[in-house]
Amino acid sequence: MKNSNKKVWFITGASKGLGLSLVKKLLKEGSFVAATSRNSASLIEAVGHHTAFLPLQVDLTNDQSISEAVKSTVATFGQIDVVVNNAGYGIGGAIEELSTKEIHQSFDVNVFATLMVIKAVMPQLRLQQSGHIINISSIAGFAAATGWAVYAATKFAVVGLSEVLAEDVKEFGIHVTVVEPGAFRTSFLSSDSLITAENPISDYKAVRTSHAKYNTMDGSQLGDPDKAATVFIDLAENPNPPVRLFLGSDAYNRASDKVSLLQKDLQDWKAVTISTDFK
Amino acid sequence: MTNKKVWFITGASKGLGLSLVNQLLAKGHFVAATSRSRLDLEEAISTATSHFLPLQMDIVNEESVKEAVSKTIATFGRIDTIVNNAGYGLLGALEELSDSEARHNFDVNVFGSLNVIRQALPHLREQQSGHIFNISSIGGYVGEFPGFGIYCATKFAVTGFTEALATEVKPFGIHATVVLPGYFRTSFLSSGSLLTPKNPIQDYKSTRASQEHHQNQIDQNQPGDPEKGVAAIIAMAEETNPALHLFLGSDSYAMAKSKAAAVDSELEQWKEVSVSTDF
Repeated sequence: MKNSNKKVWFITGASKGLGLSLVKKLLKEGSFVAATSRNSASLIEAVGHHTAFLPLQVDLTNDQSISEAVKSTVATFGQIDVVVNNAGYGIGGAIEELSTKEIHQSFDVNVFATLMVIKAVMPQLRLQQSGHIINISSIAGFAAATGWAVYAATKFAVVGLSEVLAEDVKEFGIHVTVVEPGAFRTSFLSSDSLITAENPISDYKAVRTSHAKYNTMDGSQLGDPDKAATVFIDLAENPNPPVRLFLGSDAYNRASDKVSLLQKDLQDWKAVTISTDFK
Repeated sequence: MTNKKVWFITGASKGLGLSLVNQLLAKGHFVAATSRSRLDLEEAISTATSHFLPLQMDIVNEESVKEAVSKTIATFGRIDTIVNNAGYGLLGALEELSDSEARHNFDVNVFGSLNVIRQALPHLREQQSGHIFNISSIGGYVGEFPGFGIYCATKFAVTGFTEALATEVKPFGIHATVVLPGYFRTSFLSSGSLLTPKNPIQDYKSTRASQEHHQNQIDQNQPGDPEKGVAAIIAMAEETNPALHLFLGSDSYAMAKSKAAAVDSELEQWKEVSVSTDF
C-alpha cells in the first residue's frame, strides 16, 4: 500500500481538538494516517473519506481493542512511523472532592491508555528499528495548577514515563517526545473534554475560583491548533527531536516560572538537602 | 494533650518509615503507623508506649484507610502530620511490564496516598491545621533512570498532585510538602521493595544493565543516611513556612539542579518553536 516517502502516523483521540487538526493537515500533505476514536462515525464525519486515512473505532481502556487497531494499521500501511498519544481529558476538583472512580477513570484514559498503546506498538517499532512516539501531556504536567491536582498527576505521570522511555528505546533507534501544550483553542474546555467533581465541597473556594477562570478562557485560548499540527509534523522530520517540548507562549512562560520556583526551593533548602548524607 | 504532635505514617514497617517512627517515639510524639501486616510492625517496633498505635491497613482499600484514620482520631484526638511513605520500586521497560504490574505500582504509590489524603482531609480542615508529607523520589522530578518508567511515572504523579494540593489546602492552614529523596541506605533495593517484570524481553539491554547496577553496585552503598533523612522531615514539620519541594541527599540535589538547568536551556533552545503556535 505504502510506497512513497510519506510517513505512517497512528493518532489516538483524533475526532476533535489537536488530534483532528493534525489528521487533516497530514492528509493534505500526503501522509498516511490511522486515527482512533471511541466512535469511528464521528471520525469519518470530521475527516471524510480518504484512501490514506484509516479510521479506527478503539476503546482505549481495552488492550485487545488497541492491539487490533495497531495490527490493522500495520496490515494496511505496512509500518508505523509516528505514534501520537493524544487522547485524554481534563478532570477538575480538589483531591478531597474526587471519588476513587473519578480518579481512576482519568488515569485510565490519560495514563494507562498511553501505556497500552506504547506496549502495543513497541514490537513493531523495534522490528523496524525506527519510530517516533509523541505523548501529549500538558503544561499542567510540569507546573500544577490549583483545582487540577489529579489532572496534573496524570500529566506529570506522562512526562515521567516519557523521559524514561526516551532513554530505554534509544538503543532501537526510536525517538520519544513529550509535548506540554498550554491552552489551545479547541473544545478542550467544553464539557465533553473536561469534567469536574460530581460532589464538590463548598469550603474549596480557591478551587472554584480557579475553575471559573478557566471557564472564561474558553474560546479565547492563545494557541492555534493548526500551528500545533505544523509543529508536530516538523518534529517528526527532525533527526534530533527534543525529549520535552512546551507549546504556546503561555506554556513557555509557566514552565519558565516553574523552573525558577524550583531552583529557588533548591537553594533555600540546600543546607537541609545536603545534610542527610553519611559522612 | 502536650505540645507533642500526632503523626500518621504509612509503610512504617521498614525503610524511612520505620526510622521515622522510632525517632518520633524517642522524642515523645504520638505515632499511628500503618503496614499491610500488623505483625511486621510489632516485630519492627517493640515498644509498650501508649504513644504508639500500630495499624494494619490495606492502602489500596479506601475503607481500610478510612478505618485507620478513624482509629487514630479516636485514640489521639487529632492528626497533625501525615507521611505518605508507603511505596515500592518497579524496574522494567514499559513494553515488558503487564498492565496489572503497572497498575499495581500506581495503586500503591499514587492511589494509596490519595486515599489517605482524602480520608484525612475532613479532619485536617476541621482542625484548620495539619501538614501532609508525600514521599516521592528524585525519580519524581528526574527521568534519567533507565528501566524505571512506571516507577518514575508514579513518583512524577505524586510530585504533581502535591503541588496542586499545597495550593488547594493552604486556605485551611494546611501545608503540603513533597519529599524527593535520592538514594538512601534502606532495604529499598533489596528486600521485596524493588520488583522486576515477570516477562522480561531480551532486547532491553540497558534495562537489564540498570537492574544489575542497582541490585549489585548501588544497594548498600547509597549515600543517604536514613536517620538523617528522617530528622530533616521532622525538622520540616516544625517550620512555619515549610518547603513545597524538599530534596533529600546531595545526589538528589545535584540531579535536581542539573534537570532544572537542562529544562531551562531546552526552553531557550526551542523557544522559537514553543511560541510559534499562538494566534
